[in-house]
Amino acid sequence: MTTRHLIKTALTALKAHKSRSFLTILGIVIGITAIILVMSIGQGAQDLILSQIQGLGSRTIVVIPGREPSGPSDVAQIFSDSLKEKDLALISRKENVPNAEKIMPIVFGGESSAYGNETYRATVLGASADVFDVFDIYPAGGVPFSESDVRGRQAYAVIGSKVKDELFGGSEAIGERIKIKEKNFRVVGVLPKKGQVSFFNFDEIVLVPYTAAQDSLFGIKYFHRFIISADAEKNIARVVEDLQATLRNSHGITDPKKDDFFVQTQEDLAARIGIITNILTLLLVSVAAISLIVGGIGIMNIMLVAVTERTREIGLRKALGAANRDILRQFLLEAVILTGIGGILGILTGALLAFGVSLILSQALGLSWTFSFPISGALIGFLVSGIIGLAFGIYPARKASQKNPIDALRYE
Amino acid sequence: MKLIEVKNLEKVYQSGESKTVALDGVSFLVDKGEFIAIMGPSGSGKSTLLQLLGFLDRQTGGSYKFDGKSIEEYSEPELARIRNEKIGFVFQAFNLLARSSVYENVRLPLFYSNVPETAWDSKIKSAIDAVGISHRIVHEPGELSGGEKQRVAIARSFVLDPEMILADEPTGNLDSKNGEMIIKLLDELNRKTGRTIILITHEESLAKYARRLIRMKDGKVESDIRI
Repeated sequence: MTTRHLIKTALTALKAHKSRSFLTILGIVIGITAIILVMSIGQGAQDLILSQIQGLGSRTIVVIPGREPSGPSDVAQIFSDSLKEKDLALISRKENVPNAEKIMPIVFGGESSAYGNETYRATVLGASADVFDVFDIYPAGGVPFSESDVRGRQAYAVIGSKVKDELFGGSEAIGERIKIKEKNFRVVGVLPKKGQVSFFNFDEIVLVPYTAAQDSLFGIKYFHRFIISADAEKNIARVVEDLQATLRNSHGITDPKKDDFFVQTQEDLAARIGIITNILTLLLVSVAAISLIVGGIGIMNIMLVAVTERTREIGLRKALGAANRDILRQFLLEAVILTGIGGILGILTGALLAFGVSLILSQALGLSWTFSFPISGALIGFLVSGIIGLAFGIYPARKASQKNPIDALRYE
Repeated sequence: MKLIEVKNLEKVYQSGESKTVALDGVSFLVDKGEFIAIMGPSGSGKSTLLQLLGFLDRQTGGSYKFDGKSIEEYSEPELARIRNEKIGFVFQAFNLLARSSVYENVRLPLFYSNVPETAWDSKIKSAIDAVGISHRIVHEPGELSGGEKQRVAIARSFVLDPEMILADEPTGNLDSKNGEMIIKLLDELNRKTGRTIILITHEESLAKYARRLIRMKDGKVESDIRI
């Protein structure tokens, strides 16, 4: 029997039992759908996070206080106070870190801001005047605060578009005084709608000179981060080394294992986040894979019933000249075609659902989420469903092929 | 040249402790071109004999030579090939594929043959034509009468020009008029093309069409006469 006729025969048999064929593959459809959905969303999440990191620019280096977290239990270490004014002065000296282009200290925290009767809980970001260049965002109305404002510890604020809407509605904000943590700040600028950049949503932010934030809002004399940009991509590693040497010297640390700060490049961060999202995706995919196995068992079950039901047909085919291998191939092919169709349907539904999710996330929640079709996932899904057809189809197919034509014909 | 040589053929069915002797030393010879009717009460072993002759089963004792070659010498795929090329089956219950047209049913043996596909269509159509149901070619078995179904089955049995057609009570599910027509078809196949026909029947009136009558009882040949 030629392959073409084999396929024809198998398709005819499947068409004859349309609704049962569909029910048979439902498990596979659901399994593959889940895998495609999870992979697509995992990829989308990774892309989103990476694009936000890249919003900071690839030459950006971040110095974070505390020991580098080596696991989830170390997270508390981040809230350390090891980055001081003295460190800022040291790393700002050209001879210590010659390849640093810009050095920006920041402090941040959620604080309630108020104007008249309106209040809004915004993220307050205290930074140097470089913040506008570093994040590439400038006031649409009013002016940014300057370096001399920072040095003069001026209580100026540049507010995000959503903060402006919440506190002022349609009326003019520039020149008005808002209260942040009961302290007066004068609004000097309003940011345009910008959304998420790196880890900050600039629509919900209040930008103030870090000096003012340290003094009157947070009451601290240290920094939450130093954000440094290298003068060239190739010098990133040098800047990291210089920063580490300078800070260790300043903190009197000789053993790098005892560092009370850590330096993170965008590349590090991207790799780290990539690993986390990959592990999560893998975990979810393996859960989905279990449903594939369940689906495979379902197929085996229904194929076994079909073999019994079609005993007479098998006998007839043998009487007319089908050898055992012809019957084996026919039933095996039916199983593989079934699971293959299941795989394709699963890939399509999975992609459709993932696209729906991406629409919801980008339209309703305003995330810059992009839909990505996991081509490798689709290929793997298709292959796996075919293999499941083979694996779970072989037993029923063998049973079918080994039926004695006589018993098969006698079967009522 | 003898087409069939059967010597002391035995078939014992064993299931657990119980033994059923279906054939108990059957011997006869069949020439090419014979038309034989086998009669006997149910349980006399005639169906078992036909199944052995048709390579659907293997004997438990004795010997069976087909075309000069013993059945033991054939492998499973070779037996399948002989069933395909040299033997045509007609069953009491028709055994047509539901949800397949007359054309597709007659085509079924060709799937398993070496006949090039270009020759299929003319073979199928001439077989359907020969049994006189060309007007039903696109219909499915469910839409056919019993007589028509059996005619489709006969067309299917000789579409590959077999040496021998084995018919196991082909008229058992038909009224006498349709039954006679089916036997006449088989008779015609025997007379026109010299095909060997072995027919199992319960009806004396139909057995008369044959040129030789074998009567069986308790797994043995009771009488074997030419008529």
